[in-house]
Amino acid sequence: MSALFRRLLGARALVALVFLVCVWAVFGFVNARFLTLGNAASIALQMSVLVLLSTGQMFALTVRGFDISVGAVAALSSGVAALAWNAVGPAGLLAGLLTGLAAGTINGFLVARVEVQPIVTTLGMLIGARGLSLLISNSGQVIPLADSRSLLQLAYGNWLGLAPLAWFALAGVAFAACLLRFTLLGRRILMFGSNPDAARLVGMNAVRVHMAAYQLTGVFASLAGLAMLTRAGSGLPTDGTGMELQSIASAVIGGTALTGGVASPFGTLVGAAFIQSLGSGLNMSGISPFTAEIAIGAVIIAASSVGVAPQLVTRLRKWARRKGN
Amino acid sequence: MKTLSGFLRRVPVSVLIALAFFVVCALFVPRFAGSGNLGNVARIAAILAIVSCGQAIVLILGGIEFSFGSSVALASVVTVMLLPATGPLPAFLAGVAVVVLVGVLNGALVAGVGLPAVVVTLGTLMIAHGFAASLAGGLPIDAAPSPLFRWPAVGEVLGIPVAVLIAAVALFCLWVLLAHMELGRRFYLVGANASAARLSGIGVRGTVFTGYVLAGLFAGVASVILTSRVGSGQPNLIPDLPFQTIAACAIGGIPLTGGRGSVIQVIAGVAIIAMLNNAVVLLNYPVAVQQLLIALVIVVSVVAQRFAAGIAFDVRILLKGSAR
Repeated sequence: MSALFRRLLGARALVALVFLVCVWAVFGFVNARFLTLGNAASIALQMSVLVLLSTGQMFALTVRGFDISVGAVAALSSGVAALAWNAVGPAGLLAGLLTGLAAGTINGFLVARVEVQPIVTTLGMLIGARGLSLLISNSGQVIPLADSRSLLQLAYGNWLGLAPLAWFALAGVAFAACLLRFTLLGRRILMFGSNPDAARLVGMNAVRVHMAAYQLTGVFASLAGLAMLTRAGSGLPTDGTGMELQSIASAVIGGTALTGGVASPFGTLVGAAFIQSLGSGLNMSGISPFTAEIAIGAVIIAASSVGVAPQLVTRLRKWARRKGN
Repeated sequence: MKTLSGFLRRVPVSVLIALAFFVVCALFVPRFAGSGNLGNVARIAAILAIVSCGQAIVLILGGIEFSFGSSVALASVVTVMLLPATGPLPAFLAGVAVVVLVGVLNGALVAGVGLPAVVVTLGTLMIAHGFAASLAGGLPIDAAPSPLFRWPAVGEVLGIPVAVLIAAVALFCLWVLLAHMELGRRFYLVGANASAARLSGIGVRGTVFTGYVLAGLFAGVASVILTSRVGSGQPNLIPDLPFQTIAACAIGGIPLTGGRGSVIQVIAGVAIIAMLNNAVVLLNYPVAVQQLLIALVIVVSVVAQRFAAGIAFDVRILLKGSAR
């Protein structure tokens, strides 16, 4: 019984899927318009930023770290990309990507090489990226794109039922999954996460692998920044606050372990879909966004307790036995 | 020579950094070292110092606390809403109770259920903000000014601002707790090695729970001063408070891995951040530069402490060698 329970919980992505189906069932029951293809496509578009951020966060979590700077780095990337777009045209988007890569490299260097704790490092990056954002945006004003029509087409057009941006986010998840499943780097990241000492002892360049995980986090954060830019048609240098929590939450709900070594890209996708569906479901039911915030916070905490459920069951059973005697 | 080496061993590196920073600011920043300005620095540092006391306890336990950012805001909203009905004193107490309650919730979830502190406190951060914004309707609500309500922010006792006195008391309480009480010693043991603590008969869950509640109490006291200072209930009162307090503790040299940390490190970290903020304002730099500098100082001081531990050891060897 207990073994079965544990096996089921081991497939955490499945648990997240059950959560997601429950949310859809409840809101579909309350509001007939919730379970329509149109609404599904709109949720898919809205969650693209969160999906990319969470996929990035997953890499940092896998190597037993955190990255609380992802929201700030995404915002900075969107600002830099907007400035570069106005200066040199669409090629400027590359500047946004380089921003994320630079942030990830700095984080990775400090965490892996200098061995500063991840929270301190990424807290520094969070504050620093916010400062840089203010600096490049004339104290936090949005940076409108000179010609945003082609870019907005990506967010509000329609390819095979979904917005191109949503496909792009799905491609990001697929890329992360292939990287972890089929490449040497991906396997090394997983191995380093499950046992850093062993990884060092088998002779791989552990520092380099550790750093690469943070670089991937940074690049995915900047991809999320580009998604923000695409949706809004302007750089949002002060946006992205609070996204750190949601990215950690969707990765954890999807089955990525905070203790490292376990990564689940598709679970992360489902986790992000869960959070986004909850948000838009509450919104469509006419519940105030503030009340929705309370609900989402509570659900995030509740969902993270799935990870400790086996220990909790064991403890309750022990307690019951002691009461029985 | 021996006293010098003993001094180097006992004093945390961050204190030396704070002193050096003070000298640099006094030399190069105009109007920095005037008594009026230093009083200002102390007044502004007071709130950060009080909340950092709570953060330090949680960090020593090996946890982390983000929910201050909105539990303090929720307290301000509750205080201002109760103010017309109950008068200042019960309203302030209700505010403190709210922050303590959030601490109780954190403690129950982290210690009782065994959830990761990061997820729990970020979750309660959201929940508390949701409550504050719902209660206030999304907008700040103004408080009717009264002398007693303004007293924690502007009052003075024997020429010392009340806020600074409260901060001093809070730091003193933390020192007594950490250095002279059994509970404080248990915090260190649980933070350093929870399994060993359990095996030696310490109630780990109870200790962790108490730590989060005490952290809430410190933040609650700070919320009184903060509410009195802004004179209104604001759902977005001070969202980066948790970041500032973690930064202060990290700059002071408290490792986020738990089991270590002291009051003198909290003081040094808070002092460095307060002086830095003040110097940037006096030099008329934009806010962006201030944030970049804080980010830089966090990383540099944490890295410096890593290497300074080694350097201090070398210096001790050197001094011992010359004494012989």
